[in-house]
Amino acid sequence: MPNNTHLSRFMEMARRVGAEVTQLENLQDAAKYVVTNSSGTTLVPRTALSEKHDLRTVLADAGVDVYDGDFRKAGHFPGAGVTFCNFAMADTGTVVLESTAEDVRLSTTLPEKHFVLVDPEIILEDNLAAAVPMTKIHTGNEPKFVAYVTGPSRTADIERVLTIGCHGPRELHILVIEGLSSDLYEI
Amino acid sequence: MATDQSYKKSIETAINNPKLSKALHLFGDAYLIARENAYSGLNFDAMRQELAAIKDDVRIRRKELLAEFIKNAEAAGSIVFVAKDVKEANDYVIKLAEKKGAKLIAKSKSMVSEEAHFNKAMEKAGIRASETDLGEWIVQLAGQRPSHMVMPAIHMFKEEVAELFGKEVGKTLNPEIKTLVDVARERLRQEYFNADIGLTGANFLIANTGGIGLVTNEGNARLCATLPDTHVVFAAIHKLLPTVEDAIKLTRLLPRNATGQLLTSYVTWIKGTVPCDGKTKEQHIVLIDGGREALYESKACQDALRCIQCGACANVCPVYQTVGGHVFGSIYISAIGIILTAFYEGLDKAKELTRACIGCRSCTAVCPSNIDLEEIILHLRTQVTSEYGMGVIKNVAFKAVMKNRGLFHSMVKAASKLQRPVTHPSRTGDEKRVIRHLPMHFMDRDFTQWRDLPSVAETSFRDQFPNIRQSVSDPKYTVGFFVGCGADFVYPEVGTSLIKVLNALNVDVVFPQKQNCCGIPALYSGDTETGVYLAKQNVEAFTEAKVDYIISICPTCTMAIKRDFVERLADHPGWSAKALALSDKTMDASAFLENVLGASEKLGNLSGNGSVTYHDSCHLKRGNNVFKEPRALLGASGYEISEMKNSDRCCGFGGTYSFLSHPQISKQITHDKVEAIQNVNVKTVAMDCPGCMIMLKGAMGKANPNIRCAHTVELMAEALDKK
Ligand code: SF4
Ligand code: SF4
Repeated sequence: MPNNTHLSRFMEMARRVGAEVTQLENLQDAAKYVVTNSSGTTLVPRTALSEKHDLRTVLADAGVDVYDGDFRKAGHFPGAGVTFCNFAMADTGTVVLESTAEDVRLSTTLPEKHFVLVDPEIILEDNLAAAVPMTKIHTGNEPKFVAYVTGPSRTADIERVLTIGCHGPRELHILVIEGLSSDLYEI
Repeated sequence: MATDQSYKKSIETAINNPKLSKALHLFGDAYLIARENAYSGLNFDAMRQELAAIKDDVRIRRKELLAEFIKNAEAAGSIVFVAKDVKEANDYVIKLAEKKGAKLIAKSKSMVSEEAHFNKAMEKAGIRASETDLGEWIVQLAGQRPSHMVMPAIHMFKEEVAELFGKEVGKTLNPEIKTLVDVARERLRQEYFNADIGLTGANFLIANTGGIGLVTNEGNARLCATLPDTHVVFAAIHKLLPTVEDAIKLTRLLPRNATGQLLTSYVTWIKGTVPCDGKTKEQHIVLIDGGREALYESKACQDALRCIQCGACANVCPVYQTVGGHVFGSIYISAIGIILTAFYEGLDKAKELTRACIGCRSCTAVCPSNIDLEEIILHLRTQVTSEYGMGVIKNVAFKAVMKNRGLFHSMVKAASKLQRPVTHPSRTGDEKRVIRHLPMHFMDRDFTQWRDLPSVAETSFRDQFPNIRQSVSDPKYTVGFFVGCGADFVYPEVGTSLIKVLNALNVDVVFPQKQNCCGIPALYSGDTETGVYLAKQNVEAFTEAKVDYIISICPTCTMAIKRDFVERLADHPGWSAKALALSDKTMDASAFLENVLGASEKLGNLSGNGSVTYHDSCHLKRGNNVFKEPRALLGASGYEISEMKNSDRCCGFGGTYSFLSHPQISKQITHDKVEAIQNVNVKTVAMDCPGCMIMLKGAMGKANPNIRCAHTVELMAEALDKK
């Protein structure tokens, strides 16, 4: 039985900040979801988890236009990015991505839409509980880039009116699937 | 440097632009609700005390933590430069750009870069710095400076933005917000790709990892830090935190307090030189002192460096809401802006700002770093006064008159007679006389156009007291009544009401005749000397009286005895112990009645009748933490309470503020309060402060004379009379 006591809170909080949250059976369903909900060049970084689950192939097989070249040359506004995450935090509906590899950064900042795969097992209760993994990730002299992502990009800089999609992705889709990963240090 | 004249002008211009003030009010209201929701289930006070403790530890260990940060950042590949001032910081970036042949810097938000006038400095060196934060970009295109720390362009409207963006992209744009955001999205995306250098600020610097943190919503900082091959971090030294866990604690407060978000869209943690386009990124961290070391060394003001720049102290400030950040601030705005301006730009530049604060303490109540902003501002005002003086009127009033109790009181008596020709019976006829118009040559007409001024009572409370018969056979307590000027000379009936209520609860009241003004008007104008003198007079009077408690019906006086006397006399041998002893037994009337005497239970259900709305005075709620008590007392007295909107927002009085220094701002703030009261549709507004009574009776007298303004103890006394 997976430890998913924080799942419902996480889903509720992520929805509150404008993320689309969907529970799916497996990666094939996730691929179908991506096809239905986006179009255009799709950045899928090669990471430990994506290699392990052969994510790029699964997506391509479902008809996603998985980009093959240098991500910097994929245009200023690629259609989508699909990534895993290290862990999530229930109290704020946040996903956390160790993004030291540049392709993870480009896949989550440039595209119009970001799809992120979350295993319920890696949902932490709250931000304070993240102190342990965050400290461990930052131990040692290795350069690190860690991104907390909570909902889509937003601004209220014109007349204080909340507007979605300023400089980052306009949509954040969180796809919850069991059995992807139980390791907070893997993405 | 603004002259006094141009400063006054800027206030007038701001006040004549009601559109801005209206927008800031709407924002302020929405902010309060969002913020409250964001903290639901959390203990804000405990959280802010914890953050303050972390920041104080940083202050004490700053040298050690800075060294630790530099060591760890360098180990991860960063190049760290410590700049003693903003010029050194700018020069470092210019040199770097020259070395790399860099022409374009894509820049995300950094307040210290505003302090450095970074964009101008780059321009002079032939480098273009492009702001990418939407608000900052708008302000840059308009050739202005930010008017708010979190929302730089909050003073602008979509039509103005459409015009600016239209010029930039060479076509006419619809003033539709979504369209405008899209224009910025597209346009600025090119800048990240073309830029040679990406510059970001830092919300925190973590000593034990050498990493930095960015707390943002738009996503531009991530692009600035990712696309160009060189990343410059422009950060002030006070952003240091010891550990990752401390940074997490900061991120739990910052978004909640800034915008009412539980977390911003992005929190980005960057440590060292990460991969970039097949190579390794070059990262330079420029750590800037820029006057912070001096601020750390100032015992009275150092807490200001706990600031995490959430902007909340502006959001809730009635002065900011009235005139905006371009008038009430400089680089940094509102409460924290006053303090930082004094330190980073010079006391001279902060002179008018220190006086423009009305002292309502809303900023102090909302600050996530637990900074007593109002107290620091007061301290700076004192410095301003000792350096620049406080003006002739106040000089004569405080130094020559108030210090001399006999002269002060006989002048008040004389005034009561002299004012005769200009007083009228109040409009409802059932109350005392008011001053409706002042002779034209005496003061600005505007002075009485929107409010009646109170007239001085024919017989002051101190002269009435000897004739008041108290019938308490076996008193439970004997209390000393500190009347305060407002009740003594303007509303003595509040004093007699208090005695009636206390007697009914078996408490005997004594009135030390040697008491004088609490000294706050002098102190708040920066005249410490008179303040200390008056503190001593009062401490002496009440020490001699040997009473169980000291009770006041004026929360400002209560705060004076509880806090200011103790502080002012701390270094006066023989006085400090006495001041402390008095402080311990001083209480506001409502707090004493409810918390010591249990009045609402003892009085049971009295039959005062009708609905009242309650106005929380600034110093009672935020100075003495009393707000439940008066409501309980009024309820037990038989009144039904209908709450008004923003009941704890300042009424605009602020003592001499409303009469001498900033009557125009005060008028606007009062106007808001009058509107809130009228919207409740009740006949009576209750309050616990003679200052608020002066302001609200005056303004209500013109706006709606049928609404009565009364002190809580007056209403209680009336309910007792009906028993
Ligand atoms: S005390 Fe009130 S008026 Fe003064 S800065 Fe703070 S909020 Fe503004
Ligand atoms: S002083 Fe306090 S309320 Fe004002 S910006 Fe700083 S942290 Fe926020």
